[in-house]
Amino acid sequence: MVSRNTRDVLLLLGPCLIYLFAFSVFPLLYSLRLSFTDLGIAKDSGHWVGFDNYVAVFNDPFFWNAARTTAVMVGSAVVLQVVLGVGLALFFNQRLRGSWLVRGALILPMLLTPIVVGVMWRAMLNPDWGIVNWAIGRLGLPPINWLGSTDWAIRTLVIADTWQWTPFVFLVVYARLQALPEHVFEAVQVDGAGRWATFRYITLPLLAPAIAFAAIFRAIDAFRSFDLVYGLTYGGPARTTTTLSFLTYQTGFDFQQYGYSAAIAYVMVVVLIVLSTVTLRFVRLRGQEGA
Amino acid sequence: MPPTLSFDWSTIVRNYTEVIGTQGMLAFVGNSIIVVGIATLVGLIVGTPAAYAFSRLRFRGRDTWASTILSFRFMPGVAVAIPIFLMVTFLHQEDSYVGLVLPYVAFTLPLVVWIMIGFFDEVPMEIDDAARVDGCGRAQLLLRVMLPIVRPGLIVAAIFGAIFVWNEFLVALFVINSRDLQTVTLGAATLVSADRPIDWNIAAAVGIVTIIPIFIFSLFIQRYIVRGITSGAIR
Repeated sequence: MVSRNTRDVLLLLGPCLIYLFAFSVFPLLYSLRLSFTDLGIAKDSGHWVGFDNYVAVFNDPFFWNAARTTAVMVGSAVVLQVVLGVGLALFFNQRLRGSWLVRGALILPMLLTPIVVGVMWRAMLNPDWGIVNWAIGRLGLPPINWLGSTDWAIRTLVIADTWQWTPFVFLVVYARLQALPEHVFEAVQVDGAGRWATFRYITLPLLAPAIAFAAIFRAIDAFRSFDLVYGLTYGGPARTTTTLSFLTYQTGFDFQQYGYSAAIAYVMVVVLIVLSTVTLRFVRLRGQEGA
Repeated sequence: MPPTLSFDWSTIVRNYTEVIGTQGMLAFVGNSIIVVGIATLVGLIVGTPAAYAFSRLRFRGRDTWASTILSFRFMPGVAVAIPIFLMVTFLHQEDSYVGLVLPYVAFTLPLVVWIMIGFFDEVPMEIDDAARVDGCGRAQLLLRVMLPIVRPGLIVAAIFGAIFVWNEFLVALFVINSRDLQTVTLGAATLVSADRPIDWNIAAAVGIVTIIPIFIFSLFIQRYIVRGITSGAIR
């Protein structure tokens, strides 16, 4: 005989857990199993190969290349977004006229479909007739081969990601800034602290948790992002923008090496489990709140 | 040809007629709306009671269960796309709305649970107590008392679920084959990345057609967006 409380928990939570088990946990386990097989397009594939795929992954120069690309992209995108996002939040915290309108416009990039964003940027960055090169030409600067050059393609990805996601950092930090108690700042001003001192010793420490949350959140999403690369560069030129996500996709979808693709994906999953455990520490769940 | 700021209306009209009429962009929008609507609704129906349980009931391992569900928010799409495709094929639902809705509900659940826990937590316990004194059962309490109070939360959760599903591309790429069933993301991607060289005028028109609904939508929901993003960050 189950208690009333247990029955309630099962009824309320059960459907959600069953659903997630079927369509999230099971696919992940299936993917794990796939990573130990040589499943591919060939008829007699799908045999158990033990850790062969993982050994191959860690000896694959393309994998390490993609890992480095991902690290560079995620690192530079997050740093840029945090600097810009915090700057914007401090700027808009001054209660300027009409700032609600700018805030509204700032939110828009975040809502746009990443795949469409990629395609639109590709049009604007076209070396021959794109509006961006036309504009910098008007300024008297030499044109940039945004997507075709091996140096610039990854920078372009970082710029596009920053354009789309700086608003996220801005919103998180801005909300925290608005929630800070006014009297702290008044007290500091009475004590005669300068602007920089106030920011360095009061504002920044108070904002630190929000900044850390936004940064880790962005790092995770940039790490697993796929659509933008697909729409903007398709991993090229010469694989310089092939991130781990894109490599997983390409190995599975284009080359149909499902087992090998799953092994790369699982390396990503392990990294993400570590990152998301850290993030969820920041998101205080109920029960820890009082502590 | 360098860009100019002069507008040639007949060309513009021709491009949009091409995109909306011939290429069937409106049909893609329709497909997306159907899939987004059903997936978001089912996600809310399944996720909201779970969030309520996490917020109000005491049971063993509650926090662990909650974090586990929330961590699925960070699942990389490329890790599950192939298994999901194989599952959907196994269920004979490839190339159908159902084949998309089934995985999409699972994608919205962590968002819904995450956001709704925050909103339920804000409702004071006194309300539960008062309702219980009045002889309210658990089901009645949730449906009649709590749901109306957390209505803003339901809106926030619905918006975030809807945006996620509207933007999803990878799973759709695996599941949908026929042109009639393509969602907006697929339609946009195939229109501009077919074998032939890209018609940039068409691509730009596709971009605008997909962006305008979101732009209008975002004007109405600004404050909900802010609330959704900061729930979880700011407690």
